[in-house]
Amino acid sequence: MNKLAAIVLLALCLGLGAALPDASAILRAVDANLTSSSAKSSTRMVIHGKRSSRTVGSINWSQGSQKFFTEYTAPPREKGTKMLKVGSNLWIYSPGTDRTIQISGNMLKQSVMGSDLSYEDFMEETSLAEDYSSTVEGETVYDGRACWILNLTAKKPGKAYYKCKLYVDKTRSVILYELLYAKSGKLLKSVQYSDVARIGTRWYPRYILFKDELKDGRGTEYFVESIAFDISIPPGTFTKASLKK
Amino acid sequence: MLLKLALRNIIGNGWRSLINVFIIALVLTGLIWMEAMWFSWLRLAKTQQQEWEFAGGILRAKSYDPYDVFSWERAYAPIPLAAQAYIADGGIVPVLISPSVIYPSGRMMNAMVKGIPHSQDLLKLPSADLQSTAGDPIPAIIGTAMAKSAKLEAGDIFTLRVKDSAGAFNAIDLQIARVMDCPVPSLDIGTVWIDLAALQELKQIPGTATTLALRNASLSAVSSSDFKEIPAKEFFADLDQMVKTKASGQSLLFLMLILLAMLAVFDTQALAIFKRRKEIGMLTALGMTKRQIIRLFTMEGALYMAGASMLTAILGFPLFYYFGAKGFSLPAGTEGFGVAGFNEPIKFSYPAPLIVSTLIILFLLTVLVSWLPARKIARMSPTAALKGK
Repeated sequence: MNKLAAIVLLALCLGLGAALPDASAILRAVDANLTSSSAKSSTRMVIHGKRSSRTVGSINWSQGSQKFFTEYTAPPREKGTKMLKVGSNLWIYSPGTDRTIQISGNMLKQSVMGSDLSYEDFMEETSLAEDYSSTVEGETVYDGRACWILNLTAKKPGKAYYKCKLYVDKTRSVILYELLYAKSGKLLKSVQYSDVARIGTRWYPRYILFKDELKDGRGTEYFVESIAFDISIPPGTFTKASLKK
Repeated sequence: MLLKLALRNIIGNGWRSLINVFIIALVLTGLIWMEAMWFSWLRLAKTQQQEWEFAGGILRAKSYDPYDVFSWERAYAPIPLAAQAYIADGGIVPVLISPSVIYPSGRMMNAMVKGIPHSQDLLKLPSADLQSTAGDPIPAIIGTAMAKSAKLEAGDIFTLRVKDSAGAFNAIDLQIARVMDCPVPSLDIGTVWIDLAALQELKQIPGTATTLALRNASLSAVSSSDFKEIPAKEFFADLDQMVKTKASGQSLLFLMLILLAMLAVFDTQALAIFKRRKEIGMLTALGMTKRQIIRLFTMEGALYMAGASMLTAILGFPLFYYFGAKGFSLPAGTEGFGVAGFNEPIKFSYPAPLIVSTLIILFLLTVLVSWLPARKIARMSPTAALKGK
């Protein structure tokens, strides 16, 4: 009887194993959708405060996962503010004071324009397959789409979020829901992705809702109004000199 | 004889002399009061900082620069082996600091989290309340200023988020075990205290500390190459500098009062010389040298000061005694100025060098302003003086 139970259990395990795909292959497919050699996008960030909401518009350029340049276009108060990230360095240029300051140390913990994103979130480099080891926990239906549930654990100790849980669209290889955890297992942030559209050869979410789970509020909405991948970016864009242009 | 004459003249001056003496006494009382306040405040602030932070000496991790926020994330070093035995018997208290973010009532706030052994009794911080019970949130202590700014009370639970030594986020729930009345604002404002072991675990840096408070300076011998001894002069330099700056600001006000008092003496003397020309001529005719007459007028000025000193002793004594016994309470809200010594009444002490130096300065000034108009006498012709010209 015991032998029979063991055989059934083994068969079940093998069956389940056969049904679940390779988690790292899913992550590679997700990376292929998210990462590009270069990109230019126009975005709108709606920050919900306790009393009111405000919209911050920006144009963003990126090259690989190391170089980002953002110019804020709205509201009028923030217009002309620029942010440059090169590797682990982050600079902000404020036209009001005509000063460039480097954001570092404790300042990285501050929120970006009052949103649910901190500067540290901007510093994160995203190659999920490279940075995390993953397992497929199971499958579910999220937002009307069949998804794989993936559990990720950082390979390197320096990753900001040690553990993540991803809901990945089975057919489009796009993350639809992401939960980011502290080392202690406490949920820190959640990110919802929707309005997934076909852009060139890839699927890309055009609406993202960031939510700091430790903070009250409705989170920060992020609308990708337009995005182009693998484009040529003028030389000198990712230099400190371009901040004052 | 000169002294007798000078005394007679002063008494003869009547109300004018009394007003002069009173003004000088007033300024003298104010000066002593102010000097005693700065002295007593500095002494109280140093005592409090010593009891709560410095103890008998302090070793600081070389990687920690209190003035460089960028250094705070990595402001720690392995506790020297030689220090372990002293830590066990309470002779040395390790403190670990880390920048953090706290979430009180769903709000986000930057804070500095500091770890201290719950068993320590070297520093006045009520760390015994930091002892945790399995299953409960980790206990935390905050000061009244922090409680006010974070809107936290004893018993409240909130989340603390730090980055561990590798850079990964770590977060735990803390429960306020106590809101302490801490006289040292740097240990209160923006600061959350938890048990050292809990912070070391959260940061994944066991056996490390940012500072080591020593029971006595001789224990600095346990230092390693990762730590440096901070001399008391360097540790209290900010406090000394601040008191100096504030005191010099106040001095301006008292300098004006001194000037007014001296002006009164000068005016009286100048007027006296003008009014007493006949007397000066008579004295010269009787054989007094001009130098003696100048000395007489200067002595009159010095006697004003002597009278003022006696009046200060009589009138100022109740005031000095009151502030010495009851202390001087600073107005509500001043504890937020970020300086120690503001949370309890400052009990004044009046060290002898302080009083003597104030007396000497004022005495010399009074003598000087009495002598200045008296120099005119040297240029007077005795016959013209006798005629009252």
